[in-house]
Amino acid sequence: MVLSMQKSFERFYLKKMNNIELRTENEPDVSSTDETSLLVIIIDTNPTQKLLRDKASQLTTVVDSVIAFANSHLMQKAQNKLAIMACHSKTSQFVYPGPRKPVDVRQVDGQYEIFLQVEKTVKQNLSLLLASENSTIATESLLAGAIAMALCYIARIQRTKSAGIKLNSRILIVSGSGDSASQYMNYMNVFFTAQKQNVVLDVCTLDQHLSLLQQGCDITNGLYLKVPQVSALLQFLLWVFLPEPPIREKLVLPPPVKVDYRAACFCHRELIDIGYVCSVCLSIFCKFSPICTTCHTVFKIPGPLAVKSKKKKMKL
Amino acid sequence: MANNNGVGSSKQDNSSLVLHTNLECKNLYEYLKTQPQIVLERLYNHPAICLAVYRELPELARQYVIRILFVEQPVPQAVVASWGSQAFSKDHHYVTKILTELNVWIEDSLPGGLIGWMLSATFKRNLKSALLGGGKPWNMSSALEPDKNARDANFLDSYSSERWECVLHYMVGSQQQEGISADAVRILLHAGLMKRDEEDGSPVITRQGFQFLLLDRHAQVWHFLLQYLDTVQQRGLDLVECLTFLFQLSFSTLGKDYSTEGMSPGLLIFLQHLREFGLVYQRKRKAGRFYPTRLALNITSSHNKNIPVLEEDSPKGYIIVETNYRVYAYTDSNLQVALIALFTELMYRFPNLVVGVITRDSIRQALRGGITADQIIGYLKQHAHHQMLSGAIAVKNPLPPTVVDQIKLWELERNRLIYHEGVLYSQFLSQADFNVLKEYAQSNGVLIWCNKEKRTLVIQKNAHDDVKKFWKKYSKGS
Repeated sequence: MVLSMQKSFERFYLKKMNNIELRTENEPDVSSTDETSLLVIIIDTNPTQKLLRDKASQLTTVVDSVIAFANSHLMQKAQNKLAIMACHSKTSQFVYPGPRKPVDVRQVDGQYEIFLQVEKTVKQNLSLLLASENSTIATESLLAGAIAMALCYIARIQRTKSAGIKLNSRILIVSGSGDSASQYMNYMNVFFTAQKQNVVLDVCTLDQHLSLLQQGCDITNGLYLKVPQVSALLQFLLWVFLPEPPIREKLVLPPPVKVDYRAACFCHRELIDIGYVCSVCLSIFCKFSPICTTCHTVFKIPGPLAVKSKKKKMKL
Repeated sequence: MANNNGVGSSKQDNSSLVLHTNLECKNLYEYLKTQPQIVLERLYNHPAICLAVYRELPELARQYVIRILFVEQPVPQAVVASWGSQAFSKDHHYVTKILTELNVWIEDSLPGGLIGWMLSATFKRNLKSALLGGGKPWNMSSALEPDKNARDANFLDSYSSERWECVLHYMVGSQQQEGISADAVRILLHAGLMKRDEEDGSPVITRQGFQFLLLDRHAQVWHFLLQYLDTVQQRGLDLVECLTFLFQLSFSTLGKDYSTEGMSPGLLIFLQHLREFGLVYQRKRKAGRFYPTRLALNITSSHNKNIPVLEEDSPKGYIIVETNYRVYAYTDSNLQVALIALFTELMYRFPNLVVGVITRDSIRQALRGGITADQIIGYLKQHAHHQMLSGAIAVKNPLPPTVVDQIKLWELERNRLIYHEGVLYSQFLSQADFNVLKEYAQSNGVLIWCNKEKRTLVIQKNAHDDVKKFWKKYSKGS
């Protein structure tokens, strides 16, 4: 085999030996990067959010828009990856890829098979999740927990990918919940983890301004957008959140606004401008307390001479 | 008076030399560009093709298209231009050119007299239906009973690589005739990958053939199919129908069976051809179902070097290159050994391992055969053993830099001469005349070479008339 090939090769090059060729210039690569991009979308499905309390059918609009957006992401490149999570009042779970074996789908119309599968799986898993909801106690959505799960998922994919492949990961949160500082610590932990893992955090809020999540976007270089009307959600998503971070610099996108970097105090979970900071563990309190609740350091009660006290005023 | 009648037209006839016959590997965009508008419009009638074309667009173009996908009226050009940031206006122009060339969007005037862009109606409708549903199902998705002889991905992989290697084997050792049909041979000949030997008429491999062998599997399949598509009309098949089917196939799922129900006789013939090259698997000709193999999936993304993404069962690399120019190839395939032997000197051969060494002679021999250094490096890189890929720096550049540089230097060694067509001017009577003409040629940037002592200069051939005219005017004036 080798011999025959060598022979034909020799015969071939002897004929061509006198030919001297010029180097051809390679054309610039027409297409973009050949990197894989992983998108994790977190949909807030908590029934107690104001958006859904006003009009429950808006969830359908939101879910439909998100599915269409997710499919547009898959449409960008053959190797793009997708995961969708539902964030509920008591639990967060993956709705795509679902926990069960993927359903076997056949095309019913002109839609691409994989897109159809995304749509079917998401709707099926979401309806199961919503049906299992039975308590009526209003609790806030566990967004920080959902982001942590998404980060774990991304870390797993990152670890199992074969060498030589670059993976760009990002998380998109679509939520209509209000702002609440009760998960402040959890939020900060996931934001800085995301920053360390090079995961971009995008936030699309449907109802109210979310200052804490906005901090997360700022920390991870993501985009923050408050959608003026839910009916146009898909167009907003496609317009702002579909471009991947590398291409974003080539497009004109909403400029970053001034971020409210107020911290929440550890005692009442309220956002404060000025407060007390423990000199040992840097916990923040809105009122002075003689014992730090986090690290149990005992402070001297400030005497009449405030300069002697150990407490430290800090402007944030 | 200077006499330049002796303008020795000693132009170097090197047209045969600069004619480089390197393998031209088109991507989908370049292929579609060569198709007439009417064919494009017919092609866009199918969601699968719209999807493939969309994915092939540059990143920025994809964003533009998706932004106006749901807009029902033309969008002013100035508005589209404002989407991109100023610093990247070059990208913008490039992207608009491509979108226009592919007829994805068309110019349309707005009521106010502005010119706007509007997505081609067919393209828009079908891309929407691929994305969101609606329209007719693709014609291979009819429901099927579960297959009692269902095949898994592993089986399909080994089947397809066996079939494809059969074609490659045939190319390198034409003696072995079994397993390949006359049709496939005709395509190889048509593609210029093989040619009839002058003496005995048997097909032998050409320069392009060797370059073809060094391409990655995806690029090979895509190039081969393009050549095949060139010939479909002669076979009485419909180009649009075949392309449509091919793209449907490329968007199918590995390890899933599809129905042949409702396919036209022409398509069934096409399917049998694809079966022969290992793009689809069919147990029996009349089985009524087929399985696409990995070769058929995402065929258009030929320029993407790392297609196997996150999939554990993708083919593994087998070549280790060391800084001492040794190449270790863990393989027992004759084909792979033969390919390695194209540019190395083989030293040892073991049941599952071949050891060779890259030398100046071995590389020069390959270069003389028309293989380029980039192709060699590309081949080594593409099949690099996963051991070479571990480590942060190694991910981007798994080969030892010294070897890569040396191979490139060996190639540059051969490119020391650059050919220009030129006209020689000589026998000037005075140094002044010579200087005038030299100044003129230099200022116009057409001077190739000059020698002051011998009063000779060489001027680019296409500028000869111009310079001659100048000279006549000058000599009359003095």
